[in-house]
Amino acid sequence: MSYYLGLAQLIGIHTLLGLSAYVLMLTGQLSLGQAGFFAIGAYCAGILTVIFELHIVPALLIAALLAAFFAFLVGFPALRVKGLMLVVATIAFGEFVRLFFFNLSWRVPRDGIHVGPDSTNGFREIRYFVANGWSAWEITLFVWTFVLLVMAALWWTDRSRAGAVLRAVGEDELAAQSVGLSLTTVKVTAMTAGGFIAGVGGALYAHTATYVDHLTFTVLLATFAISYPILGGLSSVFGTLVAVIFIQGVLVEGLRFMGDWRSIVFGLLIVVAMNLKPSGLFDARTARLLRRAVGLRGGEKSRA
Amino acid sequence: MSDFWFEFVEITQTIGDGLFFGATYALIGIGFTLIFGAMGKLNMTYAAASLAGAYAGLAAFAFVDAPAPVVFLISALASGVLGFVAYLTCFRFIPINNHLAALMASIGGLFFIDEMVVHATDGSPLTFPALFDDVMFDVGPYGVRGDLLFVLAMCVAGTLALLYVLYRTRLGLATRAVSQQDVAAQLCGIDVHRTNATTFVLAGLLGGIAGAMTASAVGVLSPLITVPLTVKGLIVTVIGGLGSIPGAIAAGLLVGGFENFFLYFRGVNERDMYVLLLLFIFLVFRPQGIFGSGADRD
Repeated sequence: MSYYLGLAQLIGIHTLLGLSAYVLMLTGQLSLGQAGFFAIGAYCAGILTVIFELHIVPALLIAALLAAFFAFLVGFPALRVKGLMLVVATIAFGEFVRLFFFNLSWRVPRDGIHVGPDSTNGFREIRYFVANGWSAWEITLFVWTFVLLVMAALWWTDRSRAGAVLRAVGEDELAAQSVGLSLTTVKVTAMTAGGFIAGVGGALYAHTATYVDHLTFTVLLATFAISYPILGGLSSVFGTLVAVIFIQGVLVEGLRFMGDWRSIVFGLLIVVAMNLKPSGLFDARTARLLRRAVGLRGGEKSRA
Repeated sequence: MSDFWFEFVEITQTIGDGLFFGATYALIGIGFTLIFGAMGKLNMTYAAASLAGAYAGLAAFAFVDAPAPVVFLISALASGVLGFVAYLTCFRFIPINNHLAALMASIGGLFFIDEMVVHATDGSPLTFPALFDDVMFDVGPYGVRGDLLFVLAMCVAGTLALLYVLYRTRLGLATRAVSQQDVAAQLCGIDVHRTNATTFVLAGLLGGIAGAMTASAVGVLSPLITVPLTVKGLIVTVIGGLGSIPGAIAAGLLVGGFENFFLYFRGVNERDMYVLLLLFIFLVFRPQGIFGSGADRD
């Protein structure tokens, strides 16, 4: 059972990671730096609960705000460039964050041993859940509370004017600008929101894994982050969730018998998927077909 | 005074070595920039394919004891073939205006190639034959490493060959036509797909040389250098100005010198952070790059 709970936690955390890229992609920006914000959230929350002995909820919120702040900072220079240049800029940011934590050593004595990030050896003592006697069920519930909160917030945003604004910028920047939208405001806001969500995901990840090191936050993780919304399509937040379940639950876990060859399949899958369905596996058309197949039940209205 | 002089020679020597090594970054940057110029897309498989080419050359060296020129030739050819495959799988059948899908597919290709290499070599680093590493020229107080000089010479030769193809042959004319205006080129009877494929092969050949040069200058070939090399190549491309070949050369040398300077002062763990900072400085103050025209860059 604990295996399935662990998987559920992983899916929840990766959903947050995917949603952080989803918000950006609504405005037409592709960021390969989400692993960087995730890392900031993970390390910051870990430092707060381990070194400053904070409760997990404030630690998590502070970590997410810090990640959001950095996303805000990255947003401005990165927005002077568009499209593919933004991809390069965000890859560079993600690598910069990774190298920063690779070099970060902040050890403090606690109960006779030293705890804290230990540069190349990673950050090993994030044992908040164990120390406070949380059961696996409670941890899973905790993770999914945040996942559902974020999903509900995004779902609601999508149905409000703000969602229309985000999508307008994503569809056609020139048209959005000519109806009086400020591109910078919209994009930086999306970037900041994405950073916040990734920060929450990272904070939860650090505490469920109890151990993080710089190798967790590579370009591969950033690729996972953007591949969820790309595979799931941008029609709603549920696409991302479905894609995470598909990749983490079915592919990564289901192909365990293939051993190390799984990671080859991941690369191949992306190539094949992009050739067959360049605008996402669950794009608007597929979603409509699916809805028709299940008999048009449920509230998901098709977007014009 | 003599202490200062010694320090000065040491630092300039380090920067000089970096400039020489930067020639390989310049080659990788040229490859990215060439494809960006032709299609307006980033081929993320490029650095991985270049290193895979070097692995093919290494295999020739290990199994049949091929001489150095053959090793380089095989590296270049293998990487050229991979370039063609990358074009077919990640660009050819994806709608031309869907940049993100092509980018995503090529990232998939990057991990695919990388994993294949990891599996073929069990992920362990392999030694690559160094060339002229026992040769040392003395120029005043400085020493010029023979292997780095060879790297520079090969990179210059590769770049000159590329410039010859681009500016003196019909093929190059077609490539430049497609990169300027693909619809107009098509109306003139140029087969856009074939020209793009040729660009990928050309870039791949160059990349194979760069990969083998990198491996021979470092001395080892390891899957661990794929992502850093990709990132450095992208940084060089952006700093030089997307689509600009002279820019890529200048930026490659700049990054090489810059990184060795910080290697000397801050050590190997922090070196790359400063290179990334250099990129951000460029993004903030000169986003169009050294030689970029700026106005029409997307």
